[in-house]
Amino acid sequence: MKILIIEDEKELVGSIKNFLEKEGFLCETSFSYFEAEDSLSAYNYDIIILDLTLPGGDGLDLIKLIKERNRQAGLLIVSAKNSLDDKVRGLDMGADDYITKPFHLAELNSRIRSLARRQHFDGSNELIFNEIKINTDSNEVFVNGTMLDLTKKEFDILLYFIVNRNKVITRESIAEHVWGDNISYADNFDFIYSHIKNIRKKIEINSGRNYLHNIYGIGYKFSER
Amino acid sequence: MRLLQKTNRTYFLVSGTAFLIAAVVFYFVISLFFKDQLNEKLFHDIKNITRTIKKNGALPNYYPFIETREVSAQKEQSFKAIDTLIYDGFEKRKIPFRQISLITVINDKNYFIAARDTFIEEDDLLEVIAIVTGLVFILLLVSLYFINRNLSLKIWQPFYKTLNELKEFSYERPGFRLSSESQLYEFTELNQTLEKLTTKAISDYQSLKRFTEDASHEIQTPLAVIQSKLETLMQYPGLKKDQAELINSIYVYALRISRLTQTLLLLTKIANDQFPDKKSINMAELIREKIKMFEDQILEKSLTLNENIIPECFIETNFFLAESLVINLFSNAVKHNIKSGMINIKLEKNYLEISNSGEPLPVPASKLFDRFYKTNKTYDSPGLGLAIVKEICRLNKWEINYVFEDNLHKVIVNF
Repeated sequence: MKILIIEDEKELVGSIKNFLEKEGFLCETSFSYFEAEDSLSAYNYDIIILDLTLPGGDGLDLIKLIKERNRQAGLLIVSAKNSLDDKVRGLDMGADDYITKPFHLAELNSRIRSLARRQHFDGSNELIFNEIKINTDSNEVFVNGTMLDLTKKEFDILLYFIVNRNKVITRESIAEHVWGDNISYADNFDFIYSHIKNIRKKIEINSGRNYLHNIYGIGYKFSER
Repeated sequence: MRLLQKTNRTYFLVSGTAFLIAAVVFYFVISLFFKDQLNEKLFHDIKNITRTIKKNGALPNYYPFIETREVSAQKEQSFKAIDTLIYDGFEKRKIPFRQISLITVINDKNYFIAARDTFIEEDDLLEVIAIVTGLVFILLLVSLYFINRNLSLKIWQPFYKTLNELKEFSYERPGFRLSSESQLYEFTELNQTLEKLTTKAISDYQSLKRFTEDASHEIQTPLAVIQSKLETLMQYPGLKKDQAELINSIYVYALRISRLTQTLLLLTKIANDQFPDKKSINMAELIREKIKMFEDQILEKSLTLNENIIPECFIETNFFLAESLVINLFSNAVKHNIKSGMINIKLEKNYLEISNSGEPLPVPASKLFDRFYKTNKTYDSPGLGLAIVKEICRLNKWEINYVFEDNLHKVIVNF
């Protein structure tokens, strides 16, 4: 799957590219409005990540171009937090999703995966990890064929983990993903723990394996080891 | 006190005193003058009487005004002036008379000649003077009042116009001009100075605003880079415990700076009234929805939540700000609560009351809404939540109050 990252901050692009390439995506980058224009005219992309504040032009104008040249592409816009107007206008103009800066890489990955599923690039609404199978249309989880009884939040957390499998996920990132940006007002994230415990328990009963590992106070990692 | 009132009061006091002094002086001068006139007239009378006696020896008598009689012994020959009281048949009382008498020799006979006349009575004089000065005084005051009123309407008119225009002054409207013009040097200078002042204030304010916004934005980008690099670093296999803890510590603090700049940016935007689009918002629905966000934290702290929310409460305001207000108030109620404590939410047509259990404030309640004011140093929050709430209330002209009652911290917002 081919992704175009349009963002002027080279260091940030580096991190995003590095992360997504490890996830198996093919990434190209544009650091300015004009570079983006060139790339969009010359090639086709499956997913485009567009930062709205670019040197050389307004990112919103690029949306028009994308809709002309790359109609099929899923478009994820990146906007600075608090600029609600950009967000709303971007979505009105045809962007598929938005993410506010600064963001967690795991969150970005989750958005891209969800976009890809919606565009049906993967051709499937199922995510499989060993004996665990998630149906993203019906929001059902099966372990060895048995359906798990998960709450909405448990489901969201598990999906987030499986999309970001084998990656260290911070507690902050989980909290913001499930509870929204405003959760950063909380004084601690202890409340996440009980959900993690429940998920772990529900999977273990049916598979006998624990995939959810604590990573030294940073957060969790969903992996075989 | 208004200017007109003040000048009128001063005029009244000064002219009142002046008139009082004038009346007293007037009284003494008048009475002296009358006495003098009376003496002159009586001398004249005595001269006439003497002349009549010399001519025909007849003694004119017209009591009490003229009295003549022959006397035996000649004592002295000088004039004698006295004040005396004589009974008056008409007025049926004794009234004061001025008398000038003379014992003189005419045609070898001794005569006593006295001429008398009534004084002007002091009471009467006083009354007349009081009435006259009083009338003049009132006339003066009335004319002063009208002159003043006219003056203040005409001369001060540009001043009041300037004042009204200044009341409309807002940092958000550049190019502020004062329209009033005056022939008077003082007002022209006042307007020029004010215009200079406001222009300077607006430009200072604009550049400060731009700076705050730019600074917050510019800080976000490096923070986003730091955050993404740290998240990449976390993925390295074989990370040791102490390394992971170091990375996590940097990560947590980077997130905190990021949150802080976002909050400051939000505060600046609220203060600058950059949330213009308002619509009718159902506060009841908004609150019920936001409470859900805190479910897990409430559970974690074993808090009891009492909701007393009317089904519908529509308020005209900006959605984002209303949301921000509710979240900040509610997260405070959760954060500063005790284990197994309680939170009460009450929403009525015109007010919202959120109260929670918790340790009493170690600081004066008046500081509670200040920026960066923390009641408890152990929390990571920057202490801006209530400052945001206060700004939102100020912008919407809502009244906010805090009280500590029945061991509950109560925040009340009157819409």
